[in-house]
Amino acid sequence: MRKRLQLVVLSGAFAIATVPASAQNLRGWRESSFVPTAKGEWTGPRLADGQPDVSGHWSNTIGNHNNLTDPQGPLGADDEAPPPNGGQNARRVKPRNERAPSRISDPPDGQIPLQPWARARQQEFLKYLNNPIKPEYVEPFARCAPGGPSKSFMWHGYEIRQYPGYVVFLFDSGTRVIHLDAKPHLPSNLKLWNGDSRGHWEGNTLVVDTTNNNSKARLGRSGEFVSENASIAERFIFDPSGDRFTYDATYTDPTVLTRPFTITIPNRRVTDKTPADDWNNLTFPAKLAGAGNQDKAPLIEAYERVCVEGNGNHGQVVVSSK
Amino acid sequence: MRPVSGYNVALLAAVSLALSAGAQTPASGPGIPRGVDGKPDFSGIWQSLSGADYGLEPHLATKDGPPGAGVVEGDVIPYQPAALQQRAKNFAARASADPRTKCFTLGTPRGIYNNEPFQIFQRPRDLTLLYEFGHPVRTIHTNGTEHPDGHIDFWLGDSRGHWEGDTLVVDVTDFNGETWLDRVGNFNSDGLHLVERWSYVDGNTIRYRATFDDPKVYTRPWSIEVLLYRRLEPNVQIIENYCSTLEYDEYYPVPSTK
Repeated sequence: MRKRLQLVVLSGAFAIATVPASAQNLRGWRESSFVPTAKGEWTGPRLADGQPDVSGHWSNTIGNHNNLTDPQGPLGADDEAPPPNGGQNARRVKPRNERAPSRISDPPDGQIPLQPWARARQQEFLKYLNNPIKPEYVEPFARCAPGGPSKSFMWHGYEIRQYPGYVVFLFDSGTRVIHLDAKPHLPSNLKLWNGDSRGHWEGNTLVVDTTNNNSKARLGRSGEFVSENASIAERFIFDPSGDRFTYDATYTDPTVLTRPFTITIPNRRVTDKTPADDWNNLTFPAKLAGAGNQDKAPLIEAYERVCVEGNGNHGQVVVSSK
Repeated sequence: MRPVSGYNVALLAAVSLALSAGAQTPASGPGIPRGVDGKPDFSGIWQSLSGADYGLEPHLATKDGPPGAGVVEGDVIPYQPAALQQRAKNFAARASADPRTKCFTLGTPRGIYNNEPFQIFQRPRDLTLLYEFGHPVRTIHTNGTEHPDGHIDFWLGDSRGHWEGDTLVVDVTDFNGETWLDRVGNFNSDGLHLVERWSYVDGNTIRYRATFDDPKVYTRPWSIEVLLYRRLEPNVQIIENYCSTLEYDEYYPVPSTK
């Protein structure tokens, strides 16, 4: 008998703006404040090649890619209007000082330092987000495009796998390979959704230089963007406990910005103890072969990550429009 | 398993040489890479030159592609009559019906022998296959776990592997039945049970064998075999090919002052 995966209530990117309040309550360990992890030494376990062992399932802890600078707040006028269907879509938005801070940790005002023309284009995108009268107003993530280097960390749980010479991120919409071997970047005319990444470890921090960005993914459904000329200095700062890491990404782009800015996203490890929900924790217990394996440490796995456009199954990378 | 000692390597190499007349003998000598667990390490970027994606069965040149001697043992896929009719329909509609032309995930095993490379990342617990075309990721679990309960419609199937000597044997189930096997309409259903055998011929060549058992479509199990070659260019890397984004790429120019 065929059985479609139904582990997710909301799936695909279109669903974001219409999350039932009941589903939000499932998001067990969402938090509205966090202490960034400090750069320092790595005292946790290491892999055979010497890398800090940070492999496993992870998720951010504050919110999705809906609103970059107010991650737990409403998005634009549509989101603040009374719900048209009598309440199902009502957001219980807390006062600003009880919501998570802007993901923009620098500059201090929490806003991306867009040049005036770029700010106008961002506002235009936001205005038409829920009424996309042109194809360019459809958020590309809703069409199964990759989320781009930073926004990928604002979506569902993801997995880190490590190998000699590589750190690999498996997202529900796209995959990133961080090369640790210091070979040159791809030719600069090759522009990619997730860019081209070179990294190295400094103590507890994976330092990544990401270029070749096509910058088509926007930085949130709120419409902020950079250009193809952007370079991104990313720092994945892991707590030696292995339970958390802070993602810091500094964007430099004179084409669109008046000065560089930094995105900061807190992340937490997903384990078999993480509350089951439809957002942070998309894993399920692996089935161990044979009897007598019940004493082994629980293993968790994630479903196939292949995106299906138009609210199909969760997390798949290539489109089916059926 | 313990890492192979020098003595054992020499012994295995001698045995391997003695048996090398048999084409199915996996390479076991010191020339093949091994992981920390002593198992063959398939890490690297691989690509088939078989042309199998143009047609698994023997075929002449057409406007669609070059000729090929085929990769099917016995040359002919043993379809049931109704399935043969379906293949003919697929062939007639191939320009638009081939999932490749729609940028869908190619599936298993087509992702292995299609014309673009893929990268294997390997740990003792699993192998991760990153396909360039569409950029999806397939995991082959080698940690003693079993297929999950129920039938699940996966594009790439659910893969559980184990080692038989130096051969990785992978059991694949849970297909969604929406993928094709090549550009000329060969196909399987969601009831496919695929068994793959991966072994080194030498340090830069993998022999890939796959046996198809699908009672809804075929009259008996059948097999293919292709070789996979390691890509050795100094600048080779898997470059993202999110094929499905190409149809709307034009709508997303980075905003400009214009």
